[in-house]
Amino acid sequence: MTEYAIEARDVAVTYADGTEAVRDVDLLVETGEFFGFLGPNGAGKTTLIKTLVTLLHPTDGTVTVNGFDAVAEPQSVRATVGYMAQETSIDPELTARENLRFACDAYGVSRAKRGNRIDELLELVELTDVADKVADDFSGGMKKRLDAATALVHRPPLVFLDEPTTGLDPAARNRLWEYFQRINDEGTTVFLTTQYLEEADQLCDRLSVIQDGAVVADGTPETLKRRVGGEILAVELAEPAERERAVAVARDESLFAEGATIEPTESGLAVTARDARTRGTDLLVALRDADIGVVGFDVRAPTLDDVFLAVTGERTEAAAADDGDVQAEAVSNGGDAREATMTDDGETGAAADANGVSR
Amino acid sequence: MSVQTDDRYGGSFARDVWTTFVRWTIKSVRNPFVLVVSLVQPIIFLVLFTQVFGGVATSALEGVTYETYLVPAIVIQVALVAAATSGIGLVNDIENGMFEKTLVSPMNRVAVFVGKTLAEVVRIIAQVTIVLSLGVVLGAEIATGLTGAVAIAGICVLFSVWFTAFSNVLAVVTRDEESTIIGANLLQLPLLFVSSAFLPLAALPTWIQTVATFNPITYGVDATRAVMLGEDTMTVIDVTRFGGMWDTLVPAIVVLVGLALAFGSVAIYAISRAASADVQ
Repeated sequence: MTEYAIEARDVAVTYADGTEAVRDVDLLVETGEFFGFLGPNGAGKTTLIKTLVTLLHPTDGTVTVNGFDAVAEPQSVRATVGYMAQETSIDPELTARENLRFACDAYGVSRAKRGNRIDELLELVELTDVADKVADDFSGGMKKRLDAATALVHRPPLVFLDEPTTGLDPAARNRLWEYFQRINDEGTTVFLTTQYLEEADQLCDRLSVIQDGAVVADGTPETLKRRVGGEILAVELAEPAERERAVAVARDESLFAEGATIEPTESGLAVTARDARTRGTDLLVALRDADIGVVGFDVRAPTLDDVFLAVTGERTEAAAADDGDVQAEAVSNGGDAREATMTDDGETGAAADANGVSR
Repeated sequence: MSVQTDDRYGGSFARDVWTTFVRWTIKSVRNPFVLVVSLVQPIIFLVLFTQVFGGVATSALEGVTYETYLVPAIVIQVALVAAATSGIGLVNDIENGMFEKTLVSPMNRVAVFVGKTLAEVVRIIAQVTIVLSLGVVLGAEIATGLTGAVAIAGICVLFSVWFTAFSNVLAVVTRDEESTIIGANLLQLPLLFVSSAFLPLAALPTWIQTVATFNPITYGVDATRAVMLGEDTMTVIDVTRFGGMWDTLVPAIVVLVGLALAFGSVAIYAISRAASADVQ
């Protein structure tokens, strides 16, 4: 029988003001999985994660985490999960070491093990040199790293990461990914929410896409990509103004197999089709015959960005305009980078495992 | 798939209290504002009032120096400032995520509350001790001696409860540091002036005498002053059955306990609502 780290059934969360932040969400995360929860800002990701870590009560449905009912046994859930909130959560008036010591004590790490574990975690997140400096003086990235370390002091079998890399520079993000991958390899179940499709693609075994409080797609990154319906051919025109005519050419010549989507883009047009790669040259010829100049040409496999557009776009045509806004927002949010560097909890888990003696 | 969970939580109530107490004590020792700067205004009051009004006031008081008369009011002021800091600490915790971090940890929530409060009590006692010593240096006399000094600190702690609760409610309602600071400090001076703190009520206009009857500060100051002078100092309620300073202490303590329970319940309700409902 499969063991589930998270088992949520028909979960709904309605705020006091009547906002339905999450509705009818079914979620099964197997022990050991790296699970991604993907969605734009305001889609309900944080509400769901807060429900799973017992900060919010579900209005409806059942939530079981690590085998404990989140409503009936919140204490047991809290003791067996690590949670890294979206906003960096550390005490700025304490040093890095004191922050970790507080976390150890809060999670009941025995005094005998505390010292070693703190040292290992500090090393892991590369804060050993500043261990006894007050966290207020840290850069955003260092604070984020410290926060990550505090979420792992008790070596939880399940870790919740709520947009852990938002605002990080690419190098810091990569370092953090490596680390998350490592703790997952060691058996820790990871529940990650993100707006970065690349992040989900890179890390997650399985994904759910949430929008407006409901799960709209579910599967491995590959399955989801297949849903896009083929590869994507992007053509850049010398005169973007001619894009409508180019789209007409691409459609009229019935170049592509059935089910192809042909749409104008900012600089030209994009074709999503199963035979986009093989028929691409035919399109170029057709465009030349129509006297439309082409300056760029690119065929690529679909990314999760495309999945995201496809699943969130197809859900309700009527709300397309709405969705468009949401997507645009999601993309721009994904692109922007605040600061903060986060890291690696992998070694934490590893180091901690190495000297794990029952107390 | 097994991950070792040998660290599964086994903490006790006492440990949770201690963990929280340690964090807040480190914070207040480290932050110079909390321990020292918050004493500056009461000390300025103590020094300036005794120097400026001392001569005039002493003649209006019967056989008591103004230093001795004023010190009980200043220690109450210290307790007020410290109580305001409690809410500021809570709002900081909400802002920097530590409030939520605590909620998501397996720590007992009552223990967390007790631990933070204990840290504040220790701080009030330390500050009251500093101010009392300074007062003695300036010439104030504690008629009841060392026992009296301990009692004064105890009264200050009891007195601080209602205002601590008030500043904590401000914190969870506004969730904003500036609003909490302004809200908690705005009331301090007016409340002090329309009480028995600085001059005998008999010397003040009737409307202030009326307001003072309903002002918690009057009861705090009358109680500390009764211990300081070793005699009945209360003028707002006339009690005679206990004798001496107990005629002040008993009614004052009854009022302060009542206030503590009333404000405390509101604060506990507000904080637990903030903890369980919308944490955004």
